[in-house]
Amino acid sequence: MRDFALAPELEELRAAADRLARSELEPNVRESEAAGRWPASVLAVLDGFPLGGLDLPADVGGVDAGCFAKVVVLETIAHADASGLAAADRPGASAGAVAACPDRALAATVAASCLDGSAGSAFTVIDPDVGSKGLDWGPGWPSLRWIWAMEGDTLRLHEVTGTPQPVISLAFQASGGVRVPWSETELRGSWALSARDALAVRGRARLWGAAIAVGIAQAALEETIEYTSERVVFGKPVAHHQANAFDLAHTAARVHAARLVVRDAAGSFDRGEPDAGFWATQAWLETREAAFNATNVGIQLLGGHGFIVDHLAEKRFREARHLAMAVGGLDAAEFDAAACVLDVPDELLASLEQS
Amino acid sequence: MIELDKRTQEMLEEVRSLGRTHIRPMGLEADRTAMPPPVDHEFYLICTRQGGLVSRMIGADESPNALDWKPVRNFLVGEECAYWDRGVALSLPGPGLGGPALRNTGTPEQRQRFLSIFEDHSKARWGAMAMTEPEAGSDVARIKTRARKVEGKHGGDEWVLNGQKMFCSNSARADWVVVWATIDPELGRGGHRAFVVERGTPGFEIIKIEHKMGSRGYETASFVLEDCRLPAENLLGGEAFYEARKGFKASMATFNMTRPLHTAHGVGMGRAAHDYAVDFVRNEYPAQGRRRQRALERLARIRRGLHTARLLYLNAVWLAKTGQSNVLEASFAKMYSPPVILDAVATALDILGEAGVRNDLLLEKLYRDVKILDIGEGTQQVQRHVVARQMLNMPGS
Repeated sequence: MRDFALAPELEELRAAADRLARSELEPNVRESEAAGRWPASVLAVLDGFPLGGLDLPADVGGVDAGCFAKVVVLETIAHADASGLAAADRPGASAGAVAACPDRALAATVAASCLDGSAGSAFTVIDPDVGSKGLDWGPGWPSLRWIWAMEGDTLRLHEVTGTPQPVISLAFQASGGVRVPWSETELRGSWALSARDALAVRGRARLWGAAIAVGIAQAALEETIEYTSERVVFGKPVAHHQANAFDLAHTAARVHAARLVVRDAAGSFDRGEPDAGFWATQAWLETREAAFNATNVGIQLLGGHGFIVDHLAEKRFREARHLAMAVGGLDAAEFDAAACVLDVPDELLASLEQS
Repeated sequence: MIELDKRTQEMLEEVRSLGRTHIRPMGLEADRTAMPPPVDHEFYLICTRQGGLVSRMIGADESPNALDWKPVRNFLVGEECAYWDRGVALSLPGPGLGGPALRNTGTPEQRQRFLSIFEDHSKARWGAMAMTEPEAGSDVARIKTRARKVEGKHGGDEWVLNGQKMFCSNSARADWVVVWATIDPELGRGGHRAFVVERGTPGFEIIKIEHKMGSRGYETASFVLEDCRLPAENLLGGEAFYEARKGFKASMATFNMTRPLHTAHGVGMGRAAHDYAVDFVRNEYPAQGRRRQRALERLARIRRGLHTARLLYLNAVWLAKTGQSNVLEASFAKMYSPPVILDAVATALDILGEAGVRNDLLLEKLYRDVKILDIGEGTQQVQRHVVARQMLNMPGS
């Protein structure tokens, strides 16, 4: 039977991340967005965790604490403020690519520069039928140097040689978004992976976004409950009107379910299960809907207040959608899940099926 | 991947084998004839004589009235049974929903008295639980079946029950039924009491077996209680239990386990639809093309929903097993799953196309069977009420 409890050491880590996020990130959300980065004091603490290396293998300088630990910490930080995570967590969404890169020396070089704070990294998925002129969005600080691109099942590493161009983006302003045409990069390596390994790389990237989306959705739910429990309309709190109460209950169930599938998929990676990439993709698909719902309800039940920047509802609404476009977006994820669904056994009853 | 211990694996394999040979065929037959299998059906005797599913479902392999039951294992077995036919699974001999009520509320003597009968492997036996009434469905606090304490004919106290219950699974074949009644409707939940009414008790009479759209493998019955006299020992939990004002909470505690079980059943039914659609795609669809791609994307969506629902029920059961409150999580599972399971079956039908309407292809039956999941054990709307009350400090919480 799976144990749903956090191990004591992970609970300690989660609690520490929660304290930091609530005390240092949460009060400064809008300032961080305006500044295009998180405060240096926060980054120093996060590097000490170390956030970026938490799920990296030891052979490239990581802590190798596993994906489960990583998603719990990401959830926790994103609950307070997700905006700077794309930049502060390095290599972040690229961790799966670093782990899978057959050139271990090159992977170690990438990881080292990310972990010491001298280089940023990004991950993107390119549809082979459509192609790509470059990276459309990546974190802007520290200076973006490494771009992992996956086209079909081929993993490529580009090193940025030009100057990334700042872009105004839907969300994650505290990560200082940039775009980079491929002409401004040098190809450092290209590796044909097996379909399963390639899906694992994409799955790790999706899991990164899904964990953040869970934190955003949970925060949206809590703020919505707090606001609608205090504001009175037609003689009783907004939340106590049945239509709204039902929406909130449904939202809570979706967020709870999203957390379960994200953590379950993370555990699949940690146990080295062959179909972890499939389950991570499924978790991402589940979570993108749950996060959209939670943040949409968040604005809806705050009414006009949800639409103005005095509250964080509008920020979370943007962030949930931003994450939903990553790693190739919906089509790529659905293609991936469909491509192997007939080959993935029931996660519970596989042993029976073989018997 | 969830690791199954050896015993659980053995039991699931046993269910799978019985599912192929008995449970699925019995379910199809019950659906065709609109009649549940008779009480003397050979399968019930097989189950009972081998001390297999029946005793194990209540943990009788360790101790017949043990509180140290194996909920996770039982839920997995429940899922697998429902894969083959939920209706027949619900008709299996055993204490049914009365089991959790006895475990949660009963005194040690009552657990021994009413659960130990399932040790007798020579005969199939059933238990049941009755809550719903003609005018009290989702809002169980409104039950009107009255319980009056009177002086017994031979000294001591007795209880007299009057009222009507409906939608009670297996009650027409049960050795006993846990009946929820009120000593005074004005007291609301505080007036609730549970009694064990044994078959043959004067005044207890089955009046109707319902005809249903689906889930025909088990009987759903209505009964009346007319001056039905019970000894004081049949008050579940004894007087002290209710003096501590635990009555309504006890019935709700029962639902905190049965709601996740509903979800487990739903996952089993959804898996059946999924597997049928997978076989159809493998055998009937071309290796390439638009329809195949659409079908694979739909299958992936079905898998996602079933996987999430399974995690929800396992999480709710794990909380209960580790002694933690699972009120919210049990309702999360019950709220989330029925629409997802219905969607899974409907999507599987879409994959079959026009052939999906054929009665001989299982999915048509599953579509009729599955809707009850969103009604029994508290509708989706009731679950939202439960969650909202808990989360939002609403009046009545």
